[in-house]
Parts: sequence; structure tokens; C-alpha cells
Amino acid sequence: MIETSVLVIGGGATGMGTLRDLCMRGIPAILLEQGGLAHGTSSRFHGLLHSGGRYAVSDNESARECIEENRIVRRIARQCVEETEGFFVLMPQDDPDYAEKWIPACAKAGIAIDEIDPAEARRLEPDLAPDARRVFRIPDSCVDGFRLVRHNAMSARRHGGRVFEYHEVTAIRHEGGRVCGATARDKITGETMEIACQCIVNAAGSWSGRVAALAGLDVSVSPDRGTLIVFNHRFTSRVVNRLHPSSDGDIFVPHGSITILGTTSTPASCPDDIEPQPDEVLHLLEIGEPLFPRLREYRILRAFAGTRPLYTPGNAQGRKASRGFHAVDHAGEGLEGMFSIFGGKFTTYRLMAERVTDLVCTHLGVTEPCRTAAEPMVPDPAPDVLEQAARYFPMPDLSLMADRLGDDLPDVLGRARARKENKSTNPLLCECEMVSFAEVEHIARDAGTHSLTDIRLRTRLGMGTCQGTWCALRTLGALADHDIALKKNPPEEIRDFLQERWHGLRPALWGAQAREMAFTRAVYAGSLNIDGALHEQEN
Amino acid sequence: MIGPAYERFRLLGLHEDETLQYCANCKNCDISCPHNVPVSAINMMARAEQCRKKAPCLRDWIVAHGETMAKWLTPLPAALKNFGMDNPLTRKVLDKIGIAEKSPLPLFAPRTFRSLVRRLHQPANAKKVAFFPGCYTNIYNPMTGIDLVRVLNRAGYAVEVPDGFVCCGLPLISNGFLDEASANAEKNMAVIARYRKEGVPVIATCPSCRLMFIQDLREFFPEIVERYGEPDVGDAMRFILDLVETNGIDLPPTREGNIPHHFIYHAPCHLRAQGQGLPSPELLRMLPGVTVDNADAGCCGISGSYGFKSEKYAISQKIGEELFKTIRENAAETVVTECGTCRQQIRHGTGKDCLHPVSVLRRILDRG
Ligand SMILES: Cc1cc2nc3c(=O)[nH]c(=O)nc-3n(C[C@H](O)[C@H](O)[C@H](O)COP(=O)(O)OP(=O)(O)OC[C@H]3O[C@@H](n4cnc5c(N)ncnc54)[C@H](O)[C@@H]3O)c2cc1C
Repeated sequence: MIETSVLVIGGGATGMGTLRDLCMRGIPAILLEQGGLAHGTSSRFHGLLHSGGRYAVSDNESARECIEENRIVRRIARQCVEETEGFFVLMPQDDPDYAEKWIPACAKAGIAIDEIDPAEARRLEPDLAPDARRVFRIPDSCVDGFRLVRHNAMSARRHGGRVFEYHEVTAIRHEGGRVCGATARDKITGETMEIACQCIVNAAGSWSGRVAALAGLDVSVSPDRGTLIVFNHRFTSRVVNRLHPSSDGDIFVPHGSITILGTTSTPASCPDDIEPQPDEVLHLLEIGEPLFPRLREYRILRAFAGTRPLYTPGNAQGRKASRGFHAVDHAGEGLEGMFSIFGGKFTTYRLMAERVTDLVCTHLGVTEPCRTAAEPMVPDPAPDVLEQAARYFPMPDLSLMADRLGDDLPDVLGRARARKENKSTNPLLCECEMVSFAEVEHIARDAGTHSLTDIRLRTRLGMGTCQGTWCALRTLGALADHDIALKKNPPEEIRDFLQERWHGLRPALWGAQAREMAFTRAVYAGSLNIDGALHEQEN
Repeated sequence: MIGPAYERFRLLGLHEDETLQYCANCKNCDISCPHNVPVSAINMMARAEQCRKKAPCLRDWIVAHGETMAKWLTPLPAALKNFGMDNPLTRKVLDKIGIAEKSPLPLFAPRTFRSLVRRLHQPANAKKVAFFPGCYTNIYNPMTGIDLVRVLNRAGYAVEVPDGFVCCGLPLISNGFLDEASANAEKNMAVIARYRKEGVPVIATCPSCRLMFIQDLREFFPEIVERYGEPDVGDAMRFILDLVETNGIDLPPTREGNIPHHFIYHAPCHLRAQGQGLPSPELLRMLPGVTVDNADAGCCGISGSYGFKSEKYAISQKIGEELFKTIRENAAETVVTECGTCRQQIRHGTGKDCLHPVSVLRRILDRG
């Protein structure tokens, strides 16, 4: 039995932000997540740290929240954000009057915009449509969702918080109208864990309806599915939006070396309805094409989908449903100590966490103010530390690695140095994301790492252009050489890993990517006899 | 890490990888890429970007500007220039600025090809062909050009060497001077376009110059190619081979008592990168008594100016090792290859004599 004051359910941005906030206010708290961190929508989204421009006309209040949180997140999570800026582009087929409504709406929300000559825009982004009518610069940025969640967790841990991954909450217990605990199942071992607590925060995103139901409550959340496509290159270095009322497939977001186009919006049957479909991909291409006329020539790496936790009282649907968020104290429905936070956007996760933590504090009588907007999540390494470490690593620039590692950085630097001193090498296992053996070793030896997919999520290994063709094989080889075991044996690990990649590849498997896939299959069939080996074992 | 893999990180604003300086622009990566990714062009553009930020050193300027240097030195007699360049003292000084003391620098010819060809009396043939000589032939090895002119005269052609042609720009690009290369491209393309209009073919004996026209220009300066049209510069040896095959030129007959000739042929990287076969050994093998072995042993390591540079000399020799060994172990006394600096390097690495295939052809044709 684990005892704590507050149990947070859901390891997405909202839940982890809440854990951090609670811990920073000195409240003992733990978080349970049914998968790995950011298993849900917080890693299956567009990665746009909204400036608010998209909501300026339709929901000015949301737009204001966005720009304020955008500024805060850029400050406290520098390592997770790429400050690219964005463009809003009016195309010949768009209604020019919309721009006239949009400009004052941005001013009202406090979003700084700056109109530039379309020719200048083309100079900055040469692949942009030559027939763009008007172009506005706006402080959109890109955010790495997975990393932001992990860095929140690092900060929460530093303030005493505890996180359990692969633990699914299966029951919520209450006595006399008060929450008193929950039961969770360890999905790796199958064991049951009991938690005693005074409060529960339901931050289960699209699943929050289900979690509320465990306590006999009802919250109006409907999962709404959105599909995105990933291109293999950074063909734009800025976020590019269409200047028209929000619709499918009209935003391009660069992430490191790739670009993501999205997104669709259709009601989902359940929160796990995340299998992207070829017709969605084709639909997105069609809508994205006006902004980047050569779109169909670019290589599509994969497609993926996530489900939005839309707040839908009275059954509003899709883009008409509110994109605002809701923090609920269920005491009003007769259950004290139970809170839900849902709806909203990734961009406003911190504010959502603050609001629900305020409710919890009121309930517990804690008066400590929120400090999450002031304190950076992970410290920056001293500049000379990286410079000195450069000679232990096979890449010229350590900033990518340092940014993603956060609190894990010192250990990885230590491992790399030790390898050099022992005269062993520290090879680059993944070129696309610059991941060296030392980093993989650190993560593979972490108790929370069970699979190659866990390693992928923390390092981005396998997320680049090769989609695992080279790096997965190399990594398993290197781990085997060092007697570091994952949960499954290497052929099964590889199969699971490739199968997971394959899910995203399948809906957009044509052209250059189909050729790459055939090659990947040949590599794995030829080198490891993957299908055959497993087949023999099964018999 | 270089090439397209690093391009993604450049776009992200990460520091440049210093190994970029060690790309020889030999284009073997382009040859092996099954997707036709212009790997070497990506490297060269990145290097040019670096040079824009930080001016290249004097040494790089010198090796990139062979043509300009030769012009400056024109008034001096070759013997003096060569003495000036190739005495132990100068080599020590050059070594100080980064030109390896041991590297096989080419010697200036007594007269440039251009001045020789101006004086050469060509028969008043009706058919015309324009020749792009390239710097190596013009400055260091005019005989290649003269031999070509004579072979084509024999086939009923008058050879024009347009004054408007300047360096193709390859050494400029390899050393990061992209803007100057673009100015050169502009000049050359204007000349080529003029000949195209007249229906006169343009040919080159140097594979690197030709590659520059048929492939690199499109990658580096697409807008220039757009303006002037595809620079259809032909390979001189392919041109001659076509003439042979259409009976435009007669080869001596095979008969009892033909003197046997044995050559070993090296295919320059920039020829292989064109992906258009190996016309030279095919042509030479049609000559009576001639056997040609294909060395097929990779790059010679010189890559234009690369092997002259102090920090790269040893690497360059190592790259060439395989080829040198193959040539040394082969019974042929003479090596044949189209590229001037390859010949320089092979002589240096093997001690064997090296000729352009057109020179071999002319000798055998003249002998009859
Ligand atoms: C396609 C798409 C694109 C988007 N693009 C953007 C964008 O560009 N910018 C932006 O700001 N927002 C965007 N959003 C919205 C944003 O992604 C979400 O609002 C946000 O990620 C939700 O975070 P969350 O933490 O509330 O939910 P989640 O990240 O889904 O977290 C909930 C977590 O709870 C866990 N969980 C559920 N049930 C249980 C249980 N019983 N026990 C334990 N754990 C449980 C789940 O596994 C999950 O990890 C997008 C959404 C979609 C679908």
C-alpha cells in the first residue's frame, strides 16, 4: 500500500504538469500512467506551441490563454521548444475579409503580428506557394511533447513527486462521499498496487470519461480523432498556417529534421482509435498542397493519429466543440476529493494544471501560491561542460543530446568519458537524431526502460528518415555486446519495434517510402531472418 | 557526419561538422547512391556557405584559381615559372602555406594550348566542332588538345577553341568559391548557347569539366541552366567513337606485323559519375595490336586540388594505394586516363608514364 495526499491519474502534459505543481506547493503526490510517459495524446499531436492566432477570431479568450502560456513555456522549457516563429498565409482561394477580422482579433488577444511582403516570405521559406496574397509573422513555436512531459517529471521528482509508468488505474475507492484510494495494475508484472490518498486528480485526457466512470461520475468528454503526416525533411523552418477559419490539414510544423502536416478532426469511437487511414493522408495532402505546391514530391515518412479530449456538453462535435478547458471539483456531484481536468490544448497544459491544483489546494487548505511559471524545468548545463565533453562523442554538436537529456545529462557524459578512458568506443547508433551508445546505455539501464520502443521515445532513435532500418539493428547489437537485456529477446524486440513503426508507415506507403520499406524488410529478413527465426521458435 | 544527413542539422542551426573539409568531391557517393541524391553537391554548397562566413585561406585561393594565376604569370617563360614553382626552396614556402612539399604539382607548359592552337594550321574543313580545353590542357598539357585537333582534322572537322571559354569552375566550387564559379558558368553557358544555335557540337577532353556542365551546373546554379538551356557538352572520346562507328574516321587495318601495344586504363571518378560508359578503352581496343586492361581499382586520390593540400596529402596517397598497386603489378608500361590530375597522381604514385587516350589514338593513327 502506497500512501500519499494526491494521486494524479494520467501521465500526459496535463497530469505531469499537475504533479509538478502539487509538488512545488509542497503537497505529497504520485502519478500513475497506464503506458510509458506521454503514452496518450501528448505525444500524438502536432507539436505546435500555439501563439493563439488560430483561435483569435473564433475564441478570443482561448487565444489570449495561448499567447500567455506560449511565452511562459518558451521560458521554463527552453529545451523542449524550438522558437521558430510562424506564418499565417492568405491564399487566393481564401476570403480576404477574414484577414480583416483576424488582425484586430490578434491585437485584442495580445498577439504580436507583423505583415511582410510575400516575396520576403518566399525568401525566408523558398518552398512556400508563389501565389500567397498576404503573409503575417506570428510567435508560433514548436514543442516536443514527449520531452516536455519528461522534463516536467524530472522537475516533479526533484520536488519529491513519484511517477509510476505502466500502471493502469482500475478502481477508485471512496467512503462516505470522500475519496480514499485507488487500485492499479502493473502492466509489466501483472501485479496489483493499492494506493491510499485524500484526493484524486483525473487528468486522463481522452480517457477521462472512463476514469470518471470508475468513480461513478460522468464528464462530458468525447475523443475526437486527428491524423497527421510526417515528411522526411525540414522543408519549412517556420510553422505555416492558412489564414482562414480553422480547417483540416492547413498547418505545417517543423520538428528538428522533419515536418508535420495536419490535422483532421472526426469523432472517434474510443480514445485508442488511433490507426491512421490512407484516405485521411490523401485528404491532408490535398488540403496542404496550396501552401506547398511541391508537397506530393516530398517523401512521407509516416502518418499517425491522436484523440483530442474535447469537452462536449450537449453533444457539440468536431471543430465546433469548445477548445477551452474545464477544471471540475466533483464535490458538487457528491464526491469530495475527486477532481477532473480536461479539454484544452497542449499549449495551455501548465495553466490547466495550475487551475486544478488551485482547486485541490482549496480543498486541502493549502495556501502556497503556484510557482510553475517562474522556475525553469531542467537546469542548463554550464557552457564549458559541453565543450569539454565534445571529445567523448562522435558528433560535432552536443546541444541536441543535452536538450533532450535534461537531468540525465551528467550520467551520460560520465559514461562517455569512462568509455574513452577505458579505450572503448562510443559509436553513433542513430545518425538521424545523433544518439550515441553512451546515451542509449544510460537509458537502457534505467529501471523504467523495458523495450526498444522505450529507448526510442526517450532518445528519438528510430524516428528519423531510416525509421529504424539501421539504428534498431545497431542498437540491439550494441546492447547484446554489453549484456544489457531488454524485456524480450532481441528478435522479438526487433519485431515489436518494427511492427510499431510499420503501423505508421502503412497508411502512406507509396513512392519513395515504399521503396525504403522494401529495403528495410530485405535488411531484416536477410540479416536476422526475422520472420523465419520467430516462426521456428513458435513451432 | 556530412552530406544530406548533416544538411538536416544545418537547417536546424547546429555547428558545422569539421569533417566536411575532408570531402574530396570525388563523387563516389553520388555514384553509389541508388536514389540519385546529389550528395557531393550538398557538401560543396555547405562548404561555400562556410566560406561565406569565414574567408578561405590563401592556399585554398591559390589552388582554386589556377587559371587566374597562370594569366598573371603569362609574361614569364615556362622554364622560369617552373623553376620558380618547383625548386626545393619554393616548395618549402608552399608547404608553409599548406601545399604539401611532396605532392605532384603539375609543371607549366612552355606555351598554353590556346596560343599554340591559334598558330596551328588546320585544313579548311567544312564541318565544325567547338572544343572546351579546360585549364589542365590549356596550362599544363597542351599536347592533349593538339592531339585532339589533329585526330578531328583527319575526320574532316575544323576545331574551334572559343576565346569566351573560361575555367569550368570545378576547382572554385571544391574550394568554396561558389560566387566566382557562378560568374564563370554564366560566361561559358553563353558561348555554349551560341554554338547550340549554330548547330555546332561542343566537346571536352576533361571528364571533370564535362561533368561540371552536364550535371553540376544544374545542381548549383539551376537559374543559369534555365536561362541558357542544358549545356550539351559532349565527351571527346565518345564523339570520336561515334565517328568511328559511322565510318567518319578510318582506323588502320589489322594485319600481320602490327606492333603490339599494351595499356592499363584508369577510369577517372568524374567520368564514372557521368554514368555513360567508358568510351576510351572501347575505342583503343579497336586499334590494331592494342590491348587495354581496365585497372578498375577506384579513385587515384588526387581529386583535383585535394591531394596537393598538406593536411590531405597522406590521405590522398592512401586512397590511391589500391590503384597504384594494380598499375605497378600490371605489365603495361603506359597508363591511359582522361583526367589530367589523375595522370599527375598516377605518375607520382607508380613512376609509370601516363597519357590521355586521344594522344595514344593520334600516335597510332599517324603511324598508320
Ligand atoms: C491530432 C492532434 C493534434 C493536436 N495538436 C495540438 C497542437 O499542435 N498544439 C496544442 O497545443 N494542442 C494540440 N492538440 C491537443 C493536445 O494534444 C491535447 O490537448 C493534450 O496533449 C492533452 O494532454 P493531456 O495530458 O490532457 O492528455 P494525454 O496526453 O492523453 O494524457 C492522458 C494520459 O492518461 C493516461 N490514462 C488514461 N487512462 C488511464 C488509467 N486508467 N490509468 C492510468 N493512466 C491512464 C493515458 O495513457 C494518457 O497518457 C492536438 C490534439 C490532437 C489529437
